[in-house]
This record gives sequence, structure tokens and C-alpha cells, in this order.
Amino acid sequence: MKVLDFIKNNIVYLDGGMGTLLQKEGLQPGELPERWNITHSNVIVSIQKAYFDSGTNIVCTNTFGANSLKYDDEELRAVITAAVENAKKARDTSIGTQEKFIALDIGPMGKLLRPFGDFDFEEAVDAYAKTVRIGAACGVDLIFIETMNDSYDTKAALLAAKENSSLPVFVSNAYGEDGKLMTGACPAAMTAMLEGMGADAIGANCSLGPKQLRGVVEEYLEYASVPVLLKPNAGLPRSENGKTVYDVYPDEFSDDLLEYVNMGVRIIGGCCGTTPDYIYASVQKTKSIVPAEIIPKNRTLISSYTHAVEFGKSPILIGERINPTGKKRFKEALRNNDIDYILGEGLTQQEKGAHVLDVNVGLPEIDEVGMLSTVTFELQAIIDLPLQIDTTNVTAMESALRRYNGKAMINSVNGKEEVMKEIFPLVKKYGGLVVCLTLDEDGIPDTAEKRVEIAEKIIRRAGEFGIDKKDLIFDTLAMTVSADSRAALATLESLNTIRNKLGCNTSLGVSNISFGLPNRDIITSVFFTLAMENGLSAAIMNPNSSEMMKSYYSFRALHAIDDNCTDYIENIGKYITAAAPVTTAVTDVKNQSAEFDSPLQRAIVKGLKEQAAELTKDLLNSEKPLDIVTSHIIPALDIVGKGFENKTMFLPQLLMSAEASQCAFEQIKKRMADTAESSVNRGKFVIATVHGDIHDIGKNIVKLILENYGFEVFDLGKDVPPETVVNAVVEQKAPLVGLSALMTTTVPAMEETIKLLRRDAPWAKVLVGGAVLTQEYADRIGADFYGKDAMATVRYATEVMEHTE
Amino acid sequence: MANSVFVRTYIGDDDSFAVNRKEVFRYAGYGGLTDTKDEQIEKLLNEVIAECNEDLSYKVCYRQMELRWENSVPVLPFRTDSKNLAKCLEGSSKVVIFAATIGLGIDRKISRNRLLSPTKALLMQAYGAERVEKLCDVFCSEIGNEAAREGLFCTPRFSPGYGDLPLETQKDVFRLLECNIKIGISLNRSLLMTPSKSVTAIFGLREKNRAKSGNKCELCSKTDCLFRDTQTKEECHEST
Repeated sequence: MKVLDFIKNNIVYLDGGMGTLLQKEGLQPGELPERWNITHSNVIVSIQKAYFDSGTNIVCTNTFGANSLKYDDEELRAVITAAVENAKKARDTSIGTQEKFIALDIGPMGKLLRPFGDFDFEEAVDAYAKTVRIGAACGVDLIFIETMNDSYDTKAALLAAKENSSLPVFVSNAYGEDGKLMTGACPAAMTAMLEGMGADAIGANCSLGPKQLRGVVEEYLEYASVPVLLKPNAGLPRSENGKTVYDVYPDEFSDDLLEYVNMGVRIIGGCCGTTPDYIYASVQKTKSIVPAEIIPKNRTLISSYTHAVEFGKSPILIGERINPTGKKRFKEALRNNDIDYILGEGLTQQEKGAHVLDVNVGLPEIDEVGMLSTVTFELQAIIDLPLQIDTTNVTAMESALRRYNGKAMINSVNGKEEVMKEIFPLVKKYGGLVVCLTLDEDGIPDTAEKRVEIAEKIIRRAGEFGIDKKDLIFDTLAMTVSADSRAALATLESLNTIRNKLGCNTSLGVSNISFGLPNRDIITSVFFTLAMENGLSAAIMNPNSSEMMKSYYSFRALHAIDDNCTDYIENIGKYITAAAPVTTAVTDVKNQSAEFDSPLQRAIVKGLKEQAAELTKDLLNSEKPLDIVTSHIIPALDIVGKGFENKTMFLPQLLMSAEASQCAFEQIKKRMADTAESSVNRGKFVIATVHGDIHDIGKNIVKLILENYGFEVFDLGKDVPPETVVNAVVEQKAPLVGLSALMTTTVPAMEETIKLLRRDAPWAKVLVGGAVLTQEYADRIGADFYGKDAMATVRYATEVMEHTE
Repeated sequence: MANSVFVRTYIGDDDSFAVNRKEVFRYAGYGGLTDTKDEQIEKLLNEVIAECNEDLSYKVCYRQMELRWENSVPVLPFRTDSKNLAKCLEGSSKVVIFAATIGLGIDRKISRNRLLSPTKALLMQAYGAERVEKLCDVFCSEIGNEAAREGLFCTPRFSPGYGDLPLETQKDVFRLLECNIKIGISLNRSLLMTPSKSVTAIFGLREKNRAKSGNKCELCSKTDCLFRDTQTKEECHEST
């Protein structure tokens, strides 16, 4: 019998602890347990046989850490092959009469992936793939991915399992006492991602005893449509006379598991500290229970690496601002590879209350495949909102979905056969909630009936690809009402039918409705309200629009979604335009600035961002932009710079001033863009944290101060390979390069970068800095200058540029 | 010798976790200054503390083992000829190897603030450094209290990369403690840890109590360091 058939009508029993039993048999601290498959094969077989004898259906091979990071290819193959042989021997010699299966066990590799670690997602997929291929070839019944404490790593392992075998895959994560993975994901988020990618059973193991995992189990049972598994520890370990003992014994353990089985858990076993006795007790207590039916939950979820967002209850706001359409500044950012600008748009929308961010970076003259993937990845480094990947380029779509950490929204598919054939396989493989536009080969129908017909066709076709209708969200297309007075009505009517008759979620790009009309926000927000009344699940909208946010909070309060109007009361004040209190603040400041030449100078020295911006705006009415720079900003920066050097001011103050002057510069840049004046430019400066180093705070500080002093800084980020630095310097013909390294272990990368620079960019002066560096070190690796801090770096860079001029 | 890796987690809301603002400011570049005399920075630090506290997750994993000595060299579960470490452990009959972290949440916050407010990023960085040191202090004093029942006292703690103990020792520590599975720390190719606010260290338990050196910077040769602790005097004398 196949394991997936067996699971339909039976409670499935897993095995218990392996590592803790091997320690008892003499496994030494730090010794690799998988080698025991070969050296102590009899020990492994006897433990696994004992599990089968006690009623276990699925024994996991002793391959938890069998991966290419710990073993070379030859040993990896030997270890896994022996492990499967051992499990088979245990199965064949067991006295148990139950159904028996062997699972290839896969644990985490122990490497955190980028952006916070230095291990790339694809490297992880490749490493897991090796283990999967060897194990699958040995003839196992399923793959058991377990103890994963990071969602991205879990995705890599599951993807590797799916791409390299056709075996069933069970996925189990390790949760902490806070009910989250180490990197922050909750069970709902994991459920969304893992079910989306086609895991056959999901759940939790390790870290805690059965009682502490209650919340986690309940969350799985609430959301999961596949069987839920649980494999807890025998409570918590403690040391007793030099021996490790666990505080939950088989009787209590099996009582707890019995309760969980009654709640609906379908697959049970034990982890650290459990033994065949624990499994035997659990089997005895639960074997007569008729297993709970596994009911499809029909809940529409997407996720990020921390949380899930559910559709169909409270309306979901999808921020539309990461999109170049009609935005000059955004297009410029895309052309200049200015990722920070795009990230800034994301941060603002999150602060304004968006739940999901749409990501569209399509521009004919750029490499959309690379850009979409990069932006998706960089957004996920700093923003924990789920993303909606928005592109018509299928290759770009796939590469972004692959890299995405969680279950994304996919924008979009429509009723055209050709498009469905391309997009649905991606939805099936990577998971996702896909936006379905109600148009097809014949265009956008005028009538609601026709749009609903297209929706029905899409549901049917998606079903043929194995995609449930809960993962479809229909966009009935908001058209410009100024061009067709019935446009809004058709959209709303079809929306209502799809939501209420077909039972699907709906979404609209609401802003389109008001195109060509004055005061667009007003009519758009009323349309938004009407759409919500007709069952709109999500709107792609501008969270910066106060009118939209007012509609959103009001609707929720009126629709019994917002208990006691709590959210309304808490938030609505933000969207009422305040009477200008800033002006009074500015006058106040003018009176306080006796010790400074000007209020702006004071604002910058004191690090007051809003004031600096307001005062600059004021000054721009009476002074030329460049005069403001030379007579207010530069003198202020000099006061702070000297204060820092004389130790009367300190790093945080230096930075606060830098932030304030940045606000002033922004106002000036805006004005200059309008009048087409050119800005101050002291020269190009390429900056990077060297290869292997992931600490970038020092580099970011130097960058900010350099920008303040008028340098055009090209920030290559952290962990930057030498070639990338050299290419940037050559391409920009930059006279200055700054390299940062934190540890002795990354100084060699710095040295290598300098060598390459000397060869290919001999004109460039190389400045180095970072915690571990000293003048002596800098000399030894051939740098031109050792920057002990940000100011020293600015002084040197300024000097170099003055000489070249 | 064969003992398991144990994990301790802390909520961090009791007095033992009280914030040492002076330390935070030292890490932020104020040197030994006790008062920033800057209301804005003080206020910003309060914001940073409130914002970061939601996300801190204090965890320690450790092994405690008997320690044998052969010709005045400690027999550790990894190879080392570090004289500084041997000196630090001198007289110990037990050794504790541990890793501590405050979690990835603060790293994510620091990354966000690279764009939102570099000053906040700097203060978060400093606060995180103070927090993880505090966590180590709390953990060591707990172990110290437990050992006191057997009449043992903690030696100062010693980390890979200090003195003549190479950073390479990190690999051994990670192998011994399974840091990733136990508390979610991983070691990159350059031997840097993520989450960045993590510490690994080794200390001994011995019968004699010695006044702890108050200065964690004493062994470091980088004397012009902006962050060097210059306030506490270096002392390591026998107390009777």
C-alpha cells in the first residue's frame, strides 16, 4: 500500500528519538551520527526495529544531517545508502504486523540563507537536491523534512524534494515557545506556503513537549487542508548526575497525543528524548480511534516569512506604488538601478497601512527578469508584508516566485488559453494566489454576465491544473467611468456575482475608475466603498490617499469587522489634514537660534529633520538653492564635523545631523529638478562591504556622511565580490573606492579586492575602514588610506578631489 | 563527557535584564561618557528600546562538561593550544561552552532603518550589543549560582577570536552545540554569526574565586578603538 492511501483511513505512527538514543550508546559530542549507519549499523537497525516493533508505521532513516555541507559526495552516497539499508533491515526483521514505510529523513543544513546569512537560496536547493536524489534512488516510500526552523530553508528543501523525486513529502517545522519559527514564521504562514507548494502532510516537531505545542497544533488544524503531523519532544531536558533526562514520561506523553488525535491530528510520533516505549504507549491509546476526516478549509491565504494574510474577511489593501507607470522618478530609479528608492516606496506604503505590496518593475529598456527578482528579494530583507508579483513576463514571474519567501500573490492570469497555460503551472509549482482578470481572446466584455462566464471558464481550467478556486482572486476590471458611464456598474455587478454566487475572492485596481477626472481621490474612494459593499476582498490602491483610508476604516466599522470601532478611532485622525502647526514651530526656532548663523544651520546641527525640511522650503522662496547649500548647510556640517573630531559631538549626533541635512538636500533637489539647475558634485565614490562580510552599518554611516558632503555615492551593498567592485569602479571611472571589513577573516577579501583594483582601475584611490582595521593593517594590504571614522574618510576624499581639480 | 546540549530561554523583563544605558552609549560611539547631554538622543534611545523589545528573543544553548588537565593543559572537546584560554580556565574542574543570541528580529529592524533612520540603526546596533552581553551575564551568573552549591565559581568568559584563540574555533563550538538547531544561530563562511547579536564563549568552574576582570577589552590590541572600554581598570588578582 502507498503511504498516501494508508493515511486516508488510518492514524499514522511515526518513530521517536534517534539522536538521544545514540548518545546513550556512546555517540560523542560533535560526532556525526550519520556515520554510525556504517560503523554501528547494528545499533541503528536495533533502534529502528524496536520502533517498528512498538507499532511505528513510518521509520525515518538516520540521515538528519546527511547533506553535502557535512559530507563529500562519495561519503554522502555511502551514508545515505547504508541508512536506507538499515531501515529496510529493521522493517524486514520486525515482529510488527502493521503497514510499514521508510522515510528519507532530511534536517536543516544549519546555514541561514541570504539576505541575513551568506548561503544563497539556490545553493540550498542544490544541496538538498543531492540528498533527495540519492535517497530516492535507494527506494524509500516518502521524504520527511523535519525540524526546519526557517521558512526560506524549508522552501528550499521542499522545492528540492519536489524537483528531484515524485515521492510524497511530509514537512515538519520546529517552533519556539512563542509559537513561531526562529526566523519568525507562524503556523498559518507555513501552512499557506507548504500547501501551496504541494506538501502532503505538515506539522511540528522537536523543541518542546506536547503540552507547549498546543497553540501551534491548534493553528495548524484551523488552517490546514492536508493531514497534520506532530512529533514533540519528551518535554524539556535536564541534567541529573551527568545524565540527560526528559521530564515527560510515556504515560503522560501518550495521554497528550491522544488528546491531539481527538482534536484532528492524523500523524503522530516523538522527537528528542522519546523512545519505543513512548510510541508503544501512544499507539495503544489511539489505535481504536476512528481518524478524523480531513476537511478542506477553503481559506484563502498568502504569506510572508512571518505571517499570513487572509482574504475574504476584512478587505485587504494592496499598495500599488511600486510601479513605474506614469512615474518619472520611479522610471529613473529603475534605469539607475536605484533599489533604495524602490524600497523607500515599499516602506512608506507599509507605514501608511498597506497589507500587501504590488511589485511591478516592468520597463522596456531594463532587464526585467533580474530586476523583479532583485527587488522582490531586497523588499523581503526589510519588509515583512506579503508581495504581489506583477508582470507579464513569464520568465521574470517564475524567477521572482522561486526566490520569494512565502506564498505570493500573482498578478495576473486571464481567460486567454495561452496565458493560463503559461501561468497555472507556476501557481501549481510555487504556490500562490493568482489574480484572474475577466477578459479573454475577445477582450473585455461590456456586460456582467459575460465577465462571470469568463470567471467560470478560468475556475474550470485552473481545476484541470490542480489549482483550487480558493487560490483564485477575480478582478472584474475597473474601467474609466468618464469614458463609459456604465463602466462602474458592470464592474460592480460582476464582482457581486463572482463573490456571492461563485464564492470566490475578488480584487480591483480601483484607481482606474477615475482616470481623466478632477479630484480623483474622491470618486475613487466612493467607488472603493461601493465595491467593498459588493463583496470586494482586496483593492490594489494608493495607501497614501487619505480618502481611500477613510473609506477603508469607515467601511470596516460599519460592517461589524471593527469591534467597538477600535481601529477607526485609533487611525482616522491620521487622515485628517492638520492645520499647519509646523509654522509656529518654525517661528519658535527662529527665536532660539542666537548661537547659530541661521535657523536652518541650527536645525541641522541639532539633527531636527522636519524643521530642516520646512526651513529649507521657506528659504527657497528667497534664496538660490546653491546659496542655501554654501551658506547654511555646509557651515552646519562643518560645525558638526569639527565637533565630532574634537569629541564634543558623538557618532549618533553626527548621524542625526546628516539625516537632517539630507532632508534639506531633498528639498533643494526637488527645486533644482524643477528649474533644471545642476547640483553640487564633488565626485564619484564607490563603496562596499567586502566579500564574506555581512555587517554594513559602518559602511552605511560613511555613505550617508559622504552624500552630505556632495559625493555621488555608488553603494554596492554587503558581501560584494571583488570583481563586482572593480566593474563598478571601471564603469563609473570613479576616483575613489571605499571598502569595509569587520573581521580578520574578511580582510583577505579586502586585500584581494585591492589587488584587482590596482590591476584594472589603477587611477582609483582605495580607502579602507572597519572594526578590525588599523593603519598597519591598511598599509600591509596596500590601501591608500585608513579611515578611522566617517569624518576622516570625508576629509581624505575631499582632499583627493581638490588635488585632482 | 557525553552530555546533551541544553537550551535556556529568557523573557528578559526582570531586574537582571535592566538596560545599562551607559553601555549602549559606549557601543554607539560615546566612549566612556556617562551622560550624552542630548535630550534628542536619549529620547531616540527610548524609542529604540521600545521598538526592539517586541522582537527580542533571548536564548542560550550550552554544554557543561568535566574538565581534565594534562600537564597543565586543559583537555577540551576540540583541539587548541591557546595559552590565553588555558590561563583563563586555570584551576577549573568543569567547563561550560555556550552560545547566546537575542534573535534575528533586531537585525531585520536594523536593515529597515538603513533607509528610515541611520541614527536609529546605529542605536539599535548598540542596544543589541548591550542586550546580548547582558544575556551572557545573566546566563553566567545563573550557572555560577548553581555551581556555588558545589563550592565552585565561574572564571571570566573567553570567546573564539580573543587573544591567541583563533576565530576558527567557532567551527568547533558550532559542531559541539548544534547552535542552528538549538537556538537558530548560523555561522557563515567568514566565521561571522547570524543573528549578528550572538556570542559564543567558554568559561570554567573552579574552587577558587577570583575577582573578575571588569574590562572585556583588555586582551584586544586595537587600542585606538572608538568603542574601547576605558573606564574599568584591568585587574585579575586573587581574592582571599
